[in-house]
Amino acid sequence: MIEATDLTKNYGNVTAVNRVSFSVTEGELFGLLGPNGSGKTTMIRMLTGQIPPTSGSARVMGLDAAKDPIGVRGLVGIIPEQETPPSFLTAEEYLRFVAGIRNLDSVDERCDRWFDLLEFQDKRDVLCKDLSRGTRQKLMFAQAFLHEPGLALIDEPLINLDPIMQRTVKDFLQEYVRNGGTVFLSTHILEIAEEICDRIGVIHNGRLLHCGPVGDLVGSGRHLESFFLDLVKGDAGA
Amino acid sequence: MPVPDLFLAMMKEEWRMHSTIFGSLGFALFPAIIAIFALLGSFTLPLFADVFPYDVVALLAHALFLLMGVMVGSFGLMGREFMNRRFGQASLIAYASRSLPVSERRIFGAFLVKDTVYYILLYVLPFAAGFAAATPFIGLDPGLGPLAFVSLALAFLLGLSAVCFLSTLYARSVALLAGTVAVLVMFALAAFRLGAITVSAVLPPYAFFLDPKVEPLAISLLLILVPATASVLFVTVDYPDRTKRFKNSLDPLAERVGTLGSAHFIAKDALDLLRSEGGAGKVIFSFLLPLGLVWVCLRVLIRFIPGIDPLVVFAVLLGVISATIYNWLTEFDSFTSYAFLPVEVSAVIDAKLKSYAIANLLPLGVLVLAAATSGAAGTFLPALAAFASVSAYTLAVTLYLTGLHPNVMLYSAGVFLRYLLAISPALLLLIFASIVDPGYAALSLLLVVPAALLLSRGRTKWQAWEMPGY
Repeated sequence: MIEATDLTKNYGNVTAVNRVSFSVTEGELFGLLGPNGSGKTTMIRMLTGQIPPTSGSARVMGLDAAKDPIGVRGLVGIIPEQETPPSFLTAEEYLRFVAGIRNLDSVDERCDRWFDLLEFQDKRDVLCKDLSRGTRQKLMFAQAFLHEPGLALIDEPLINLDPIMQRTVKDFLQEYVRNGGTVFLSTHILEIAEEICDRIGVIHNGRLLHCGPVGDLVGSGRHLESFFLDLVKGDAGA
Repeated sequence: MPVPDLFLAMMKEEWRMHSTIFGSLGFALFPAIIAIFALLGSFTLPLFADVFPYDVVALLAHALFLLMGVMVGSFGLMGREFMNRRFGQASLIAYASRSLPVSERRIFGAFLVKDTVYYILLYVLPFAAGFAAATPFIGLDPGLGPLAFVSLALAFLLGLSAVCFLSTLYARSVALLAGTVAVLVMFALAAFRLGAITVSAVLPPYAFFLDPKVEPLAISLLLILVPATASVLFVTVDYPDRTKRFKNSLDPLAERVGTLGSAHFIAKDALDLLRSEGGAGKVIFSFLLPLGLVWVCLRVLIRFIPGIDPLVVFAVLLGVISATIYNWLTEFDSFTSYAFLPVEVSAVIDAKLKSYAIANLLPLGVLVLAAATSGAAGTFLPALAAFASVSAYTLAVTLYLTGLHPNVMLYSAGVFLRYLLAISPALLLLIFASIVDPGYAALSLLLVVPAALLLSRGRTKWQAWEMPGY
């Protein structure tokens, strides 16, 4: 589903992502872990064609992300870390707006499903600017899955959500993957990755330090936290 | 935290906000551009003195700065939404009374002082300085320069304090605001019937410029200080619960414009305008107020220029002013909202152009009304051509230079200069041609060619710029 080859992104003299290669296969829940500023968000933006790589390439669902960004974004669902829905549309109108852009049918059913699943039916006619951060996050989650994509790329999936909703979202993602969907998520919250990811990549200062199954760590009796800290601190000291 | 410290912090914040966007030099040069244009414009005053008497030019300048005060004040009203769209979650000091151990009154007071000092330094001082530098060469009293600085600053502050006062009333109670406006309108109508409304009475800073005596100065200060003080004393951030709920209006609106394509974007633009602070009223207000001033000035000019056709000149200026609708259409939007969806930048631009075309029915209506009521219907067709062409051309220039960011980019000295150089010659040529013969206004149709070219190149330019800019 994702094939990244020597992906590199420079911002002036700063290298945000440095020759990163990895792949994510269908039905996998892949977590990209890294401290703040390590290159996770830049990676998602390159994979979805929002920014072009300086060098290297990314194929996402069979398309070159740099050459056909609209095609990629048409196929996948994306939850950006910081973006919020438009202020002056209601929650329902925003989902209908996204449905209009994606030319979806059965919009009523799709909207109802997400308002029910994420438990915010009572907010559907409230302007986005008046929604709490958590509810906005739910709405961004709903827009990403509205077209039932085969692949979802999620930047910090549980940020702003309460523990109950975090459980709901984690359950949904695991169910989604069991049903053949693929998830690429980036996070710095290690517990999420340890709990739901099949494989993880660890990125630090733009370089991929590790890529492998979470099960390997569990099998070797190590906790993800100590593994992650050893890797990152070791890299920082190198 | 003492008010002076707050003031200094806000000044730094305002400077950094602008200089972050344009670069320090690009923004620092903005006042220089204003000064240069004021200087060059002042040199042309004697050439056109027969056509544009000095007192008419002074009236226009004071009206312009009054309007600028209104606009700066309006930004205070709606700024938070704008900042949220532009920079993500806004975190300006002005919005921080709940998180800082400082009263909202102090913060708002410092905010007003900051706006006063900042924008007087940014707009009024360079404008007055440019004019002052020219006075020795055009036979005017050099004392007029400092006088213009004071009176123009008063005009700016008059607009600023009035809007701040009205916004404080709005925050307290919409009914209170409506009642106050109703009383003011009734007062104005009564004064009009009694024949007590004169330009000097409506705009005391202008009266002070014409005749610098204590009375107009005192009236000006009174009209500034009383509303400003009241707005600080009664300011509140504890708005009543105004969580707004709306039934789905997006789909019905999109269905209405479905044949145009981009239906959901156009519907969103309409809802942004209708539901943001001030509603459709802010567009109409920012649009009709300058138009009213233009119309009044044109009626004055007819007395001095026998050949002038007020409808045609009005249509030309209407075309320029109508382009400000594009600023409103992009005020609460940015491409980052769509960057994670399968949407091209050019698709967003196309949708804005369609929204603009629809919104231009408003100025078109104004033109029809002006033609019907002014008895100048005979020149309606050339006026219509001038309005449509100038509106399209001004929009094309704005789009080419600023993309989806006119409210930000026009503050860059280089962009602003190019904007003025692209618009002014075409505008002046059209006005002078129409003075020779109103029928020549039809020549404005030639502007459609560069407009089409600029729109096409603008789409390509911003398509390439927005993606990496995200």
